[in-house]
Amino acid sequence: MKKKTSKDKANAVCVAEAAQMTENLVATKQGKKKDKLSKKIRKSKEKINASVGIVDKPVDGNEVHLQEKFRKDRKKKSKGQLLETSKGANQDEVYEIPSGDDDCSKGMKKWLTDYHRSRPGLKVLQQTIDEFIIEHEAKLDQERKEKEARLTEGGWILVEHHKGRKKTTDTESGTTVGSVSQAAVEEKLAKKKSKEVFDFYRFQKREAQRSELMILQSKFEQDKKRIQQLRAARKFRPY
Amino acid sequence: METETCIDSMDFKVQELLKEARLECSSLLTKLVDDTVSAIKSAIDKIPEGLQVTADWARGFVRDIGADKAEFKFKKPKSIEIGGSYSIGCIAKPDVNIDLLLRLPKECFHEKDYLNYRYHAKRCLYLCVIKKHLKSSSSIQKVEWSALQNEARKPVLVVYPAANLGEVPGLFIRIIPTATSLFDLSKLNMKRNNVRALNAGDDPQPTPIYNCSILEDMYLEEKSNFIKKTFSGWKELGEALILLKVWARLRSSIYVHDCLNGFLISIIVSYLVAKNKINRDMMPMGIFRATLKFIETHPLWKHGLYFPMSDQNVSSKGNEQLNSLTRFNLAFRISSVAYPELQDEVALTLRCLEKCRDGGCEEIFTTKIDNAAKYDYCIRLNLKGNSEVYSLGFCLDEECWRVYEQDVHSLLNQGLTDRAKFIRVIWRNTYSDFNVENGLSALDSEPLFVGISVSSVEKAFRVVDIGPNAEKKDEALMFRKFWGEKAELRRFQDGKIAESTVWESKQGTRHLILKRIIEFLLGRHLSLSKKDIVPVVDQLDFCLLHDGKDPVSHSAKLLGTFEELSKRLRSIEDVPLKISSVQPLDSAFRFTSVFPPEPHPLASKKVDVARLHNLTPFCVQSLEVMIQLEGSGNWPMDDVLIEKTKSVFLLKIAESLQDNWGITCTATEEDVDVFMDGYAFRLRILHERGLSLVNKEIGGDQMKRVSSADKMLFVRSQHASMINGLQFRYPIFGPVVRIAKRWLASHLFSACLAEEAAELLVAYLFLKPLPFNVPCSRITGFLRFLRLLAEHDWAFSPLVVDINGDLSQNDEKEIDDNFTQSRKAYEENTQNESKAMFLATAYDKASEAWTRCSPNPLELKRLAAYARSSASLLTKLILQNQTDSRGWECLLRTPLSLYDAVILLHGDRLPYPKRLLFTSELDQGIFLGGKGRHVAHGNASTCFHPFLLPSDMKGSSLEQLKTKLMVNFDPLRCFVGDVEKGFSNRLKLWYDSLGGDAIGLTWERSKKREREEEETDRKYPVDLLRNIGELGKGFVRDVYLLKAPRLSS
Repeated sequence: MKKKTSKDKANAVCVAEAAQMTENLVATKQGKKKDKLSKKIRKSKEKINASVGIVDKPVDGNEVHLQEKFRKDRKKKSKGQLLETSKGANQDEVYEIPSGDDDCSKGMKKWLTDYHRSRPGLKVLQQTIDEFIIEHEAKLDQERKEKEARLTEGGWILVEHHKGRKKTTDTESGTTVGSVSQAAVEEKLAKKKSKEVFDFYRFQKREAQRSELMILQSKFEQDKKRIQQLRAARKFRPY
Repeated sequence: METETCIDSMDFKVQELLKEARLECSSLLTKLVDDTVSAIKSAIDKIPEGLQVTADWARGFVRDIGADKAEFKFKKPKSIEIGGSYSIGCIAKPDVNIDLLLRLPKECFHEKDYLNYRYHAKRCLYLCVIKKHLKSSSSIQKVEWSALQNEARKPVLVVYPAANLGEVPGLFIRIIPTATSLFDLSKLNMKRNNVRALNAGDDPQPTPIYNCSILEDMYLEEKSNFIKKTFSGWKELGEALILLKVWARLRSSIYVHDCLNGFLISIIVSYLVAKNKINRDMMPMGIFRATLKFIETHPLWKHGLYFPMSDQNVSSKGNEQLNSLTRFNLAFRISSVAYPELQDEVALTLRCLEKCRDGGCEEIFTTKIDNAAKYDYCIRLNLKGNSEVYSLGFCLDEECWRVYEQDVHSLLNQGLTDRAKFIRVIWRNTYSDFNVENGLSALDSEPLFVGISVSSVEKAFRVVDIGPNAEKKDEALMFRKFWGEKAELRRFQDGKIAESTVWESKQGTRHLILKRIIEFLLGRHLSLSKKDIVPVVDQLDFCLLHDGKDPVSHSAKLLGTFEELSKRLRSIEDVPLKISSVQPLDSAFRFTSVFPPEPHPLASKKVDVARLHNLTPFCVQSLEVMIQLEGSGNWPMDDVLIEKTKSVFLLKIAESLQDNWGITCTATEEDVDVFMDGYAFRLRILHERGLSLVNKEIGGDQMKRVSSADKMLFVRSQHASMINGLQFRYPIFGPVVRIAKRWLASHLFSACLAEEAAELLVAYLFLKPLPFNVPCSRITGFLRFLRLLAEHDWAFSPLVVDINGDLSQNDEKEIDDNFTQSRKAYEENTQNESKAMFLATAYDKASEAWTRCSPNPLELKRLAAYARSSASLLTKLILQNQTDSRGWECLLRTPLSLYDAVILLHGDRLPYPKRLLFTSELDQGIFLGGKGRHVAHGNASTCFHPFLLPSDMKGSSLEQLKTKLMVNFDPLRCFVGDVEKGFSNRLKLWYDSLGGDAIGLTWERSKKREREEEETDRKYPVDLLRNIGELGKGFVRDVYLLKAPRLSS
C-alpha cells in the first residue's frame, strides 16, 4: 500500500512524461503495420480481429483527445475508481515483480498456502461438513416454514401435492418399502408407447406422409443454402 | 423418396463442382491459344528446309540413351494439330495445358530407325531444332523441356505464351511429336528385340517396353482422333471425364507415370462407349460409376486394353480404322504393382458412394488423398549421385529409374512379407528446368518415394519372422543369403526348427521394427547408407517422452494397482452403504493420456528410499476414479446436500482404507485422494438419483440446462469405457491421440478443446476412415487429425462419432435435429455462441458434454487455421527432402508473436519441468520492428521447488516427507484462475496445461462494458499487464506487450 501512494505522487508530478509515453504508444501503433509475420496465420488472425470489430482511429485527432482523457483519468484516480495505479513512474522501464515470498495475498505463496489450508485432515473436514449440513438443513427448514407461513397468511390452508413415490417410502423411517427404479419405469413407458398404432386411419397415414415430405423439403432447402455458403467459401475447388 | 432427394443434392453438388473445375473456353482463351499455335507454326516454318542436324545438338542425350546413328536433314512436320483435352473441351482446372501434336516427317527417318534408340535420338534432336527457333518468337515467353509421362527418353517441349490470361494462370502448350506410320508395325512386335545392346550371352532379349514406347507415338494421332469422335457433341460424357480427372488427380498414388493419366482415362471412357457399356441416357455420375466399376473388374495390366478386345471381332467387322489399332496395349504403362493399388482406391471410392453422407461428394471430389496421408509409412531415398542406379546404362528395354523402382519394390516385398498390404515405389525424374542437351545423369535429384500401407498393426509389429524349415536346405540357403547375419536358426515352442529373423525391441518401440527391417535390407542389398534413407516413422516421438522414456510403459502397473484398489474398495464393510462398482475415469487408464503418471516413490505404503533422489518431483498427479454405492432411500433431495453427503461418504471410505490397509489419504472438502503403490487416486461418487433429478429439470426448459456433477460424471464414465474399448480395437489409436493432445496443448489450446473432444476427433478417423483405410501409424493418424480439424465443415455439419457402431437411423435423425436446433439458435442470436464444434456420440446426442462452451466460433477458426498450417508443414516434411529435426520441432513450437501479449513463466517452477518441450523466448525481431515492449520481469519464488531438495529429505522423517507431497498442485491453473477471476471480460488467456512455460493473451471486447473501460484499457495496457504479472508473483518470469488493444469507434 505504501508503494502505491508514493507512486501516485510521482505520477501526478510526471504528467508530461506520461503524455510522452502515450505518444510513444501511438508511434508503436503505426509501426505495427510493418510486421513480417508468416502470412497465412496472420491472415487468419486478422480475420479473427476483424470479426470482433476493431477499427483504428485516425492518429491526428488523438492527441487532443488523449490529453482530455488524462484529466478525466486523474479525477477518476482520486475517486479511487481505477483498479490500481500505474506502477513505476517511467512506463518505459521494465517493472520488477518481487518474488513475493513474504506476501500471502498473491502469487505462488498464496497458492501454496491455499493448498495447505484446504487440507486440514480428515477429522477436521468431517466436522466442518457435518456442521455445514446441519446449518443448511436448518436453513432449508426455515425457508419452507416461511413459505408456508406466507401462503397461509390470509387464512388459506396449504394443500400440497407430495411428489414421487409416496406409497413406496415409509415417511417415518425413510426405508424403501418396495420401489421401482426410474429406468425401469421409463422403459415400460417407452414400450407402451410403441404399441400404439399410428397408421390406423387413412388420415394418419396421409399426415405422416405429408410431414415426411415437409421434412425432406426443408432438408433440401437447407442443403441448397449450405451449398451457397460453400460456394462462397470456395469449398468446391477440388484443388 | 429419401434417395431421390439425396441424389438431387448430390447432382447439385456435382454441377457446382463441374462449374468450378471445368475450364470454359472463352473467346479470349481461344484467341490466345490460336495466336500462340500460329506463332509456333510460323516459327517452325522459318526453319530452313534441309538443315543438317547432327548429334551435336544434344550430345549428352544421344550418348546416354545409347543411340548409334542420329543424323538427318530437317524437313517440316507433316501436320500440326491440337489434340488432347482442349480439343474436346474437357480441360479440368487447375492444370491447364494444351497438347499440340506434331507429326514427324517420314523423310527424316530411315526404315530401320526403330532399332537401338535411333528413333528416340532423332525425335529429340528434331525438338531441339524447334526449340531453338521458338525462342526467337515474340509471342512466346519461354520454352522448357518436359517428358511424356515421366519417360525421360521421350522429351516434349513446353511452351509458355507471352500473354497472360487472368482466368488461366500458368497456361502452357505441350508440343508432342507423333510418329504416325513411320515404321513397320510387325517389327515392333512385343517379342522382338530392337535394342541390340540387351542380350543374355548371345541370345537377344525381347524389348516389349521399348517397342511400346515407339508404338505409342505411332498411334497417338489415331487415338486422339478416336477420342475426339467419341466425345464430340456429348456433354454428359465430357462432364464425366472431368469428374474422373478431378477424382484421379486428388489421388497422387494412382495419378502417376505407372498408373493413370488424363489421356488414359479418356481412352478408357471411349473404349467403354465403343463397347456399349456407356450409353447416351446416362448422367455424368452414372458414367463415372460405370467407369470405376470397369477399372475395378478389368485387370488392365494383365490383359491390357486393346482396341478392340480381340482380333476376331475386327476381322468380322472389317473396320479399317479399328483394325490399325490392334496389338498395341493402350494401358502398357500400368504396372503390375500399380494396378492392385488402383483397384483398392476404386473400391474405396465405390464404398464412399454407397456409405458416406450425401453420397460421398466430399470424400470423392474434394478430399486430397496424397501419399503423406494415405500411406502408413513413408520413406524417402536420396539417390542423388548414386551411380549404381545407371551402372548398366540409362536405357535398355526400360529406363534405369523404372528398373530401380522395381528392384526396391521386390526387395521390400520379399523382406516385409505379409506385414505390408501395399508397397508403392515412385520416382519422379523430370523436373522443370531439366535440360535434355546435358544428358540424363542429373535426373536423380528428386528423392525416390516409398509408401507402405500396413496390413494390420499386429502383423507390422511382429517381432519374429519364421522362415523355411531347416531341413529344406535350398530354401534355408536362400533365406540366409537374403537376410545375412540377421538370419538365425531357432527352435520354436512347437518343436519346429526353422530359420528366422528376430527384431527384438522394447515395449513402446515396436512401431520401429518396420523401419529397422527396411534400413537393413536397403543397406544390405542396395548398399545405401543410413543417411540416404529417410523413413518417416518416429520423428514425432520426442513429444511424448518424459525424461527420455515413454511414460506409457508404466501403464500396466497402473492398471494392476487400480484393480487392487477397486477390490479393496468393494470389500469395505465399515461404511453405511457398500460400494457396488468402481470405474476408471482418467485418460491414463485408457492409454490416451500424454503423460500418464509414473509411480511416485513417496506415494505408497512402504517408501522406496532407494528411489528417492534429487529429481523426485514434489507433485503427484491424481487419477480420477468413479465409485457407485448401493441404493438407499435416505439420500437428501437437495443438490448441495447431495454433494456434501458424498463428501462425508468419501471421508468415511478414506478413513476405512487408512485404518484397514494403512493407506495414506488426504482430502479437501471436495476431493479425497488415496495414495497407493505410487499413484494418487481421486475418488468420486456417482449418485444415480441425482441423474434423474437433472433429467426432469431438462424436460422443462431447453435453455436452462445445468449439467450437475452427477450428469458430468455419468457422461465421463460412458466416454471412458467406450474409448477404452476402441483403444483395444485399434492399438495405434492411443499414440495418435497423445500426439494430437500434445499438439493442441503446445499451441496453447488447452482451454479451447477438452481432452475428451480430442479423443473423439481421433476416434472418428478410425471409425469413419473413408476415403482412406484405417490409419496404422502415428504420423499418418496425426496428419489426418490435423486435416479433419482444418477441413471439416464445422458450421454446417455435425461430426457423428459412432463408437460402438450402434446408432440407429432414429438416433441419427435426433442428432440432426439437435444440430439444426443449435444452429438456428445461433442464427437468431449470434451472441449465443455455443457448440461451434458439434460432436455427437451415442451417450451425448446433443453435443452437451465437451464442446458446449468451447471452442467458440472464433477459437475454432483459430484452431482450424493452426491445424491447416501444421498439416501443410507436416505434409512437406513427409514428402520433401528435409532431414533436420528442427522442421519437426516447428510443428510443436508455437509462434508467440501471434498474441497481443505474452507471459513467460519460470520453467523451473512448473510442477513437472521435464515436460517442457522448449524454453520459450520472445523473438528479438518483434522488438526491432518497434512493436513489442518488455513490460515486466518477475523473480522466481523460493518457497516452491518442483523437486525434493536434499534439505527436505534430511530434516524430516519419511512420514513427514509424505505429507509434503502435493496432489495435483498446478501453479499454472491457479494463476489462470486468478487472472480470469479478475479480468476475464477484457482478455482471454491461451495456455498449455501439459507443461508449457508460455501464456498467450488476447484482448477481449465485451460490448456492454466497452464504453466505460475503453479509456483505461487503451491507456493502461501496460498497467493492466503489470497487475496480471503481480497476480503471478514468484511464477511469472516476463511479461511482454505486443499489441495494445485497439479502439473501437
